[in-house]
Amino acid sequence: MPDLSVGLPGLVMHNPLMLASGVQGGSARALQRVAASDAGGMVTKSIGPVPREMYPGPVCVEAMDSVVLNAMGLPNPGADVFAEILSNENFSKPLLVSIFGGCAEEYVEVAKKLDDAGASAFELNLSCPHSKPGSRALIIGQQAKSIHDVVSAVRDAVDAPLYAKLTPNTTDITIEAKAALEAGADGLSLINTVSAIEVDPYAGRPVIGNLLCGLSGPAIRPIAQRKVAEIALSMRRGEIPSAPILGIGGINTGLDVARFVMLGASAVQIGSALIWGDVEKFKEISVELSEFMDLNGYRDISSMQGIALDSLEGLS
Amino acid sequence: MSLRAPPHNRLPLDMSRLSDACSLRLALSFEPRKLISAPIPLPLVEVQFEAEGIATLWVQVPNSMATQYRPGQYFMCWNPYDSTGGMSRPHFHSEKPYSVGDIRVGHSHAHQLVEAETGRQGRDFLGFTIKDLGRQSGELTRLSVGDWLAIRGPFGTAFPQMNAGERLVLVSGGIGSTPMHMAAREARHRLGDDVRIEAIMGFRNAEESHYVSRMESICDSLRITTDDGSLGTQGFPTALLPELLGNYHDGRTVLLTCGPEPMMLPVLQMAVDSAIKCYAAMERYLPCSMAVCGLCMVGDRLICKDGPVMDGDWLLQQDDFGSSHGHWAAVG
Repeated sequence: MPDLSVGLPGLVMHNPLMLASGVQGGSARALQRVAASDAGGMVTKSIGPVPREMYPGPVCVEAMDSVVLNAMGLPNPGADVFAEILSNENFSKPLLVSIFGGCAEEYVEVAKKLDDAGASAFELNLSCPHSKPGSRALIIGQQAKSIHDVVSAVRDAVDAPLYAKLTPNTTDITIEAKAALEAGADGLSLINTVSAIEVDPYAGRPVIGNLLCGLSGPAIRPIAQRKVAEIALSMRRGEIPSAPILGIGGINTGLDVARFVMLGASAVQIGSALIWGDVEKFKEISVELSEFMDLNGYRDISSMQGIALDSLEGLS
Repeated sequence: MSLRAPPHNRLPLDMSRLSDACSLRLALSFEPRKLISAPIPLPLVEVQFEAEGIATLWVQVPNSMATQYRPGQYFMCWNPYDSTGGMSRPHFHSEKPYSVGDIRVGHSHAHQLVEAETGRQGRDFLGFTIKDLGRQSGELTRLSVGDWLAIRGPFGTAFPQMNAGERLVLVSGGIGSTPMHMAAREARHRLGDDVRIEAIMGFRNAEESHYVSRMESICDSLRITTDDGSLGTQGFPTALLPELLGNYHDGRTVLLTCGPEPMMLPVLQMAVDSAIKCYAAMERYLPCSMAVCGLCMVGDRLICKDGPVMDGDWLLQQDDFGSSHGHWAAVG
């Protein structure tokens, strides 16, 4: 049987399938439930400095086949409660703790608290608005300078591996990738949701309670693959530092995992697919991946990593 | 940011045509997977007063949906134009789960023509009976005919189907009456006189009692309790349950319950002690319905997907069953 295991900074996993941030992973119970599945690792719901309630509903809908819209509003128990969870619980799978804040100082505050509580690695959710007056129009992840400020501040504050989660809603994602890696990120997670809106013509208003929303699910997989490919190519050419990429976006089958890996991803995260299969999806996808690799003679993940990039080398 | 209802400088609406169009939209969306996964607004065709603070909202749905809904399952219900425009926060959840309380099957002449032309069937109605328990449910109970109610679903598990010769015991507390009514209705519809249905309905007082006549017309026996004794026996449903369960140890009795967890816990315990199969329809803070947010857990299961109908024996083994929670501190 092919070897599905991967070893990345802070993430030694028996397979490359991780729970994506924002899905189920906000409480000890929920995380333990995922840990008991066949997932290789888990990313928590994004944890902020203080507890946050959910946005008014509808918070998550499947607008049409494979098109998932959500605006949860970063609900989370807050750094203090989550620090308690981390100190009290043992998880059988590696855990990336996703954190967010409105400015570099808030990221540092959350990272320090959770680092003290035993977090082994962090994912920085950079898709949140600035809290500082006058800069709300853009999210942190849309400005290379803000990314640099946040990542380098957290880098200075904690020793744990850092993964920067990038938004696809920018012009050239290699610019944001470069900023994160040069500021000391150990790896990249991409993509976050694609910004979206859907209107119900009968009601004459947006269908999501928060009005604006993020698009996920299989509909965005080709977009995510493109972003992963652009960054991986840029790394190959030496334009930006090399680092592991966690591919995210609409992964629903074992073949989807192979696609991301062939474009350069080291591991993947799975979120929306749980809508259709819950945590059993991890088993289903890993079996499919294993069968595919077996059938095609790939002995391990690294033997297929980046092979689809070869055909893109000549692109300028 | 505020949100307003569509402008009223439009032509007068033909409610019946609008309702048919929305029902057709519902049918097309429902067909492929037997599930509406994004909210579809429907005009209310009737609002029925049930009791103080309790109203039944009727919407037209395609026959395929009315017939495939199984008692116990829930719909997410949303008023797109609640007074806050859906934008008030925190602690306001403008979309919440409700079970269907009643179903009407209608066959108007106009719809038969539509059926003949489109090949689509049925003009049926779902009734959501809602009790004013807070801002969201309160606003829903104050809606009028023609207001929008957006629904998606049906989600979740259903009560097991009864077999001929079995006895069904239903125990409800408050608005938990609605899935109990649908369970009774389905059993009677499928099995006729080959099933014995006995129900206990608990209310706070006579003023909030509802669904009594609906249940009376279906059940072989109906007992009512009120906390203050203003109707039926004074006390909780558990006071009358031992007497009801006492005579039956034949393995052919099934107990279903829906109500506050502190009521369901002793009810299920009594059933399990009498070796009677039992199931509860659970309700908790349930914001997404899609196994995404992970906040509706009891034990290691999600109420939105593994529930709301859950095995009583299993529930009794969960340390977090019996007292509601729904906040981060408690979930952690």
